[in-house]
Order: sequence, then structure tokens, then C-alpha cells
Amino acid sequence: MKFKLWFFAAPALVLYGGFFLLPAVQGLRYATTDWDGYSPTFTEVGLANLTDVVSDDDLFRNALTNNLKFLLAVVIGQTALALLLAVLLAARSRASTFLRALFFLPTVLSSVSVAFIWKFVYDPNFGLANNLLDLVGLDSWKSAYLGDESTAILWVAVAQVWFHAGQMMVVYIAGINQIPEELYDAAKTDGAGRWQQFRHVTWPMVAPATTLVIAYTTLQSFKAFDLILGLAGNPPRAGLDVLATRIYSTFANSQLGYAAAESIVFMAAIALVTWLQNRAGKAVHR
Amino acid sequence: MTTYSRRNLLKLAAGAGAASFLAACAGPGGDSATKAETSGDLSFAHWRAEDKEVFEQIITEFQKSKGVAVRQDISPSNDYQSTALQKLRGGSIGDAFTAFRGAQFLDIAKAGVSTDLTGQSFLSKYEPSLITAGATGGKQYGVPYQLVFNTPLANTDLISKAGLGEAPKDWQGFLALADKLKSQGVTPIAWPGGDAANAGQLLNIMVVNNAPTDDALGKIETGEFKVTDDWFLTVLKQYAELRPYFQDSATGTSSDAALALFAQGKAALLATGSFQVSGVRKLGATFPVDLLAPITTTADKAKYEGVFNATFILGVNSKSAKQDNARAWIEHLSDPAVAGVYANGTSQHVTVKDVEYTNADLKALAPWLTRKTALAPRFQFTNLDIRGAVENATVAVAGGKSPEQAAEEAQKVIDQKR
Amino acid sequence: MIRRAVLGIYSLLIVVPLVVIVGGSFKTTPDLFADPFGPPVNPTLGNYTTVLTGQGLLGVLGNSLFVVLISVPVTLLLGSLVAFAVARLPKWQSRILFGIFALGLAVPAQAIMIPQYVQFERLGLRNSLTGLILVNIVVTLPVAVFILAGFMRTLPGELYEAAEIDGAGPWATFWRIAVPVSYPSIAATAIFLVVMHWNDLLYPLLFIDDPAKRTLPLALLDFQGEYLTEYPLLFTGVVVASLPMILAYAFLQRHFVAGITAGAVKG
Repeated sequence: MKFKLWFFAAPALVLYGGFFLLPAVQGLRYATTDWDGYSPTFTEVGLANLTDVVSDDDLFRNALTNNLKFLLAVVIGQTALALLLAVLLAARSRASTFLRALFFLPTVLSSVSVAFIWKFVYDPNFGLANNLLDLVGLDSWKSAYLGDESTAILWVAVAQVWFHAGQMMVVYIAGINQIPEELYDAAKTDGAGRWQQFRHVTWPMVAPATTLVIAYTTLQSFKAFDLILGLAGNPPRAGLDVLATRIYSTFANSQLGYAAAESIVFMAAIALVTWLQNRAGKAVHR
Repeated sequence: MTTYSRRNLLKLAAGAGAASFLAACAGPGGDSATKAETSGDLSFAHWRAEDKEVFEQIITEFQKSKGVAVRQDISPSNDYQSTALQKLRGGSIGDAFTAFRGAQFLDIAKAGVSTDLTGQSFLSKYEPSLITAGATGGKQYGVPYQLVFNTPLANTDLISKAGLGEAPKDWQGFLALADKLKSQGVTPIAWPGGDAANAGQLLNIMVVNNAPTDDALGKIETGEFKVTDDWFLTVLKQYAELRPYFQDSATGTSSDAALALFAQGKAALLATGSFQVSGVRKLGATFPVDLLAPITTTADKAKYEGVFNATFILGVNSKSAKQDNARAWIEHLSDPAVAGVYANGTSQHVTVKDVEYTNADLKALAPWLTRKTALAPRFQFTNLDIRGAVENATVAVAGGKSPEQAAEEAQKVIDQKR
Repeated sequence: MIRRAVLGIYSLLIVVPLVVIVGGSFKTTPDLFADPFGPPVNPTLGNYTTVLTGQGLLGVLGNSLFVVLISVPVTLLLGSLVAFAVARLPKWQSRILFGIFALGLAVPAQAIMIPQYVQFERLGLRNSLTGLILVNIVVTLPVAVFILAGFMRTLPGELYEAAEIDGAGPWATFWRIAVPVSYPSIAATAIFLVVMHWNDLLYPLLFIDDPAKRTLPLALLDFQGEYLTEYPLLFTGVVVASLPMILAYAFLQRHFVAGITAGAVKG
């Protein structure tokens, strides 16, 4: 009788299979052609697209490098900030409830809204950041932000952290609240200070939360499409190009087959990074 | 009974699903969807948000005489460049549309989206030499409408204050002028280095006199020339020489910020082109404007005094169900009186003959119609990745990268994408 | 002391940009450039009239609402049906079913958007809100299944078995037991889906050509072109687009936090 339950799943399976899994597989087919997306004809190119993407495409490699820089900056920055805020706000009080709500607020905005807010912050001539630096007399810190080829992507990372740190903070707070109070009491009787309590009790006990936060942040960083399109325009310049936008630009440049090949490498890159993180995670927890 | 019918429904859904997936599974190639009808009014797709109000006036007139309402579908120019073809192909916007000269126009024609306008009577109202950019393979697939000068705009008040009677005739003279302006506390050149679409406009004038042939940028794309060749290195080195004369953080400056700097009188030149005159006026600037091209060579070697472009190529969408009305709309725009309304309202010259320019800025720029100007070379690129690589190199150099290194990196991308 | 300083600074980092945005939406462009931080000297509602009347933004709001009102309940229904099956199927079958959907969690939409684009184009589903709803459902199903199955699996089997002994079929068990008991988890998922679907840009950008069918984020992105980055108008757009979510957040705060976080953790 149990097989009846498969009927429950059937509508979802049909839609999901047809419009998610099937296109994913079809991508493989497109990737072996030079189809431009509109012509009735195309040429089979075999694995040429894939080998080009991997070994002979500076634009793709540049996007990959930017993406990894962005990933690293966001994972480290956002995780550290979220944990710090969580530690400071874990205790229940009126003020901390209010601040939690405030820090979480950006998460409910759309990425386009967040992009516009930060576009104004970063405008080198009229924007918030440089004006503020002028105001407090730190003119020498002024920068072109998104116009600075080598650091542009890191400025986007700052916006991304602003956007999502509050969300990750909540995950950490849940983790911290599950830590039994006795552990802290024991640490205190051993004469542990605040830092040592954090180092020996909080940090190891929130390890599962850390794993979650990092895994999610990683996936989120690969998807940073909306934010970059809103901040950098379409198509973004080399300094702001990431894998998702590169695929979109290739597609817009009427190279559909090649874009499909890029998508495959994109997925492989995500799989690889996730696998490495799992390995690293296991090594750390051992 | 109920369970039975439900099961049937499920089967039906599964069957329909399977059939449609098979259809969609056909793989690459093949023709796509049927003709789609745009909802309601005739859709006119373009990228000139600045011209919206003037077009509204023209549309009102058109509606009165022909009874056809027109809706403007405007996208930002960068977006338009990268997504218009896909959208037009769907047929749901752009019964009548516009295209950029070069890559986009050719792609749209190749995709069979533009209908052949050869033989249409309204073509005779245009200056024949100016609408060749709308023809390919011997057929007129579109008519360029705007005649713009992709040559820096100059605040003539500030320029004459710098004490130079006439425009510098060579590169040294230009640098001297920039130096003078700077010493007077004015930003010599406002340049939107952070805006890909507009940052590249400066490349036009920097290239025309340095290039060994008029189609040099096209030859970079075909591989005959390289950006590491001496002549292009000269171009990049001149960008390096301009570094101190751009506004601060030029590589991060948006198009609108550059425009604002110029309109506020803080910058003497705006390194985009005549198509921004109306924007300058909208911000309340009252100073007289002219064009001022940096001549990148010595005076005797300079072939051109400036750069022009015939663009905003009007076309009729072959996927549209309203082609007759779309053609009527273009015919309406071709009327010298209507074209005059457009030209004077937007401060842009047009390719239509016998138009009376009454707008003060257009009058001021009118002498340029007969001066020795080159057709804007950046639109010779047909691959956006290659154009991006070349233009990025100029931005990188302006931001501090060495010309040699920037050229080498760009050439690598060009070789890969060719 | 340090605690206060850190929290104070971060609060400012959140609040200042938001206040500048809201304040800026009441300024004219020259006023904003003259003094970005100060309160509006000559407050104007002009930006709001421009944005609300000139842009057909009300229609756009309607589209967003329409999409969310259909795609969220459908995703919830389909997702909880799958979750129920996952919770009740024998172990290995349950694992297969769950695995199929879990696969989707690791694949970002950006990786499959190209073939999806062609597929929807061929089926005539591009440039339609139906297509947009369909793709929303499909793309968020994995997350919904993950959250809901995670919850339903923790419910004791006796709960279902008791109902089945009373003669209830799986369909009745689903509606009478599983759904009511899973209410908190369904609510959390619902909020997560609302935020996802309301804010999505990628698919509207790919699928919607007709301005009359745009959803809010796409209309907002188009502002850049229509207004040439006139910041006050962009800000007004941001305020108008964000207000519904912020109001909902103010009233349903706890559910929002639970929902979005559940989605984050599971997705």
C-alpha cells in the first residue's frame, strides 16, 4: 500500500523533473554545439567548448577568480561578523531583541534595492562613503570603490555581508542558546575569562552552526547575480564579473552553446568547493 | 469515482507534460515560438530615456492623424545592447524598434528579426550617405535616425577663460590646454570611466587619427591588427597621459555623475558626445557648448577633426503582427517636420534631409555637419566580449595599469574570443 | 563598553543608509547632491507621483502580488505532499525520493537558466506570468521539500498509524494529521517562499519582455535606464518596492526570522 504515497509526490516530481532536472541534462546537449540561440542550424563541436572554457578563456578565468575572491571575503567576513553579533546579542533583553530585529532587516529587502542603496554609498563623486570620509577628515581613505579594478569585487562583498549577516546571526544565536549553561559555569570555576569561555565553550559548541553558515554562504556567493547586476550594470566590467554574470553575458552575446558549457563548469566549481569545505570541516572537527 | 477521476487527471497531466517535454527536448537549432502579439498599443522599443517626453509629443500627433497609439518600451542602453535581440525575437515588444549600429544591428538582421525596407518611399527623405549603416547584404533593413557626434562636449566659457583662442590642433596643444584648465582649478575632462557603455565613447576620437586605416578596430577583431601594435599602444599611452586630467576616481564614475560635474561647471570637457547635450540642459546648465576633439597626433598628420555616428537604427519587427502600423510610425518619423520636432526637442541632429534646426545648441554644433569627421570606429566591433576587452584596457590604463600590460591582457582575450 | 561600541557602530551602518534613502526620496536631485545626509530642506512628494503614475508601478505591484499568491500556495501544497511521502515511505524509497529533491539544492538557478530559457521559449511559456509562476515553483520546490520533510520526519510514526487504524487513507491522514501538526513548519516555509518569490530578479529578467508583465525587482532595475540614475527616483522606487515586505516583517517578525532562517539553513 505504501507505493500509493508515490502518487503524492507525482505532481511535484513531474514538474520538477520536467522543468528543472530535464533542462539540467539538456544543458549537456547544448554545450557540445556552437548554437547561437536563434539560427535553425548549428555545428557540433564536441568537447571544444568545454576545453576552451577550462583552459583557454581569460574572461571565464577572471570571473572565476573574482567569484572565489568574493566567496572567500564573504565567507570569512560574514561568518565572523554574524558570530560576533550573535555572541553580543545572545542574552535576552529588550535591547537585544530590538537590535536583532534591526540587524535582520536588510534580509527582507530585494537584492536590487540593496544594490541601489550601495550604488549610492559607493558613488565616488556624490556618494555617501566619500562624503562621510570628507566629513570626518579622512580624505586620504577616499576611493573609487567599484571603479577600482583590483578591489571592486571586495566592495561588493561588503554590500553582500550587510545584506545577509543578520540572517546568519540568527542561526548562530539559535546555536548559542542550545549550549547548556553548566558548561559556562564549569569554565568559570576553572577561572576562564570571557575570551577563554568563547574559545573553549562557545566556539566548539557552535561548530554545527558554523558548518551550516559556511555552506549556505558559499552557495549564496555563487549566486550573487542580482546584486552585481544592480551595482555594476549589465554587462558588468571585468573587475566585477562573476561566473553567473559571465554566463549571462555569453548568452546575451548570442553564444548559447558556449554559455551552456560555462554552466557545466560553473556547477563543477560549486561541487568542488563544497567538497573541499566538507573535507576541511571534517579535518577541523577531528 | 472521485479517486478515479483524480487518477485520470494525474495521467492526463503526466501525458501532457511528457508530450510538451518531448517537444521542448528537440535540442538546439530549429525555429522558435509563433508570432506573439504585443498587448495593446504599438510598441516602440528604444534606449533613449532622455527622449521620452519628445517622443510622447510626436506620438500624440501620430495618434491624431493615424489613430494608432504607440507605447515606448525603454531599456537602459547597456541592457538594450545585450538583451534587445532576445526580446525582439519573442515579438512581445518592439513592433517598431531601434538598434545600435554595428554588432547589434547585424545580429538582429541575421536573426531575421528586421524586415526588409528596401523600396519604401520614406527612404528618399533621408540623406543617402547617412543611412548606409542600416543596410547589409544589399538590403535596407533599417534606417539610422540620429546623427550624433561622439566627440567630447566643451563648456566654451571655461575653455575661453583658459585663454586659448581656438581649439588645439595637436596632442601637445591639447595637453597644454588641459594643464591650463587644471591650474585654474577646473577638472579638465569629466569621463564616465565606470560606465561601460559611455566610457568607450572617448576611444572613438582617440583612435581615428592614430589608426593606420579607417577600419582598424574591425581589423583588431579579425586578427589583422593587434592591440599590442605600436599604433594602439600609442592610444593607450595617451590615455595614461590623460590620467591627471580626469576627475578623481574616474574609473568609478557613472555616466550621470560625469554629466553632473560638467553641467555644474566643475569640468570643462565631457568625454562622451553630443547626445548628452539635452541631459546637460536638463540639469540647468546655461553656458554655451561646443565640441572639442583631442587631436592625438601632430597637426599635419591629423586626418579627422572629430567623430560622428549614424545610429538609433529604426526597424520593423518581422515577428510582429502589427508591421503595417510599425512602418507607418517610421514613415511618420521620417517626415522632415516631425524629425525637426525630434531634433530640436532632444538637441540631436538627424539623418533626415531638409530639417530646420532651431535649437540653439544644434545651431552651435551645426558647423560640425560639414567638418571632417570620421564614422565612429567602436561600432566596428561585432563581438561584445572583444569590444569589452579593448575598452576595458583603456579604463585599466586610466586607472593606473601600464599600457603594455593592459594591451597584452586584452590581446589574449581577443585571441581567445576571435 | 566594547559591546556597546560594536553594536552601536553596526546599528549606524544599518540605519544610516536606510535613513538617507528614505530622506533622499523626498529630495530633488540637486538638493540630494548638495547635502546627502541632511533632512530634506524642501520636502517634495514629486518623486512619488512620478514613480507611481509614470511607471505603471501599481500594475507592477499587482503582477508581483499575483505571482506570489499563486506560486507560494502551490509550492507549499506540492512540497508538503512530497514531504509527507518522504516521511511515510519505507526507508530506501524515502531516501530516493528525498535525494532527488536534495539534488536541486546544490544546483543554483544560474547554472540551468540557459536550457530553461530555451525550453520555456519553445513551450510558449516565456513572457508570461504563468511561466514565471511555474519556474518559481520548480526552483523553490527543493527547499520547501527540505524544510517540510525535515519537520514531518521528526513526527512519531504512531501519530499517523493511529489515524490509519481508524480507517483513514493516506489522503485523509495527510490533511487531518500531517498538515495541521506541521503548521509552524509550513508557516515558516511560506514566509521563506514569499520573500524569495517577491524579490526574485533572475527569472523575470530572463523571461519577461513585456513591460506590462514586469514584477517589482525587474521594474526597479529598469529604473536605472528610465531615469538615468536620478538617485531620488531610484530611492523612491526602493522605498515603494520594500515597503510591503518591511511592513509584513514588522508585524510578523518572529515568523520572518524563523522562515528565512529555515530557508537559509536548509537551502
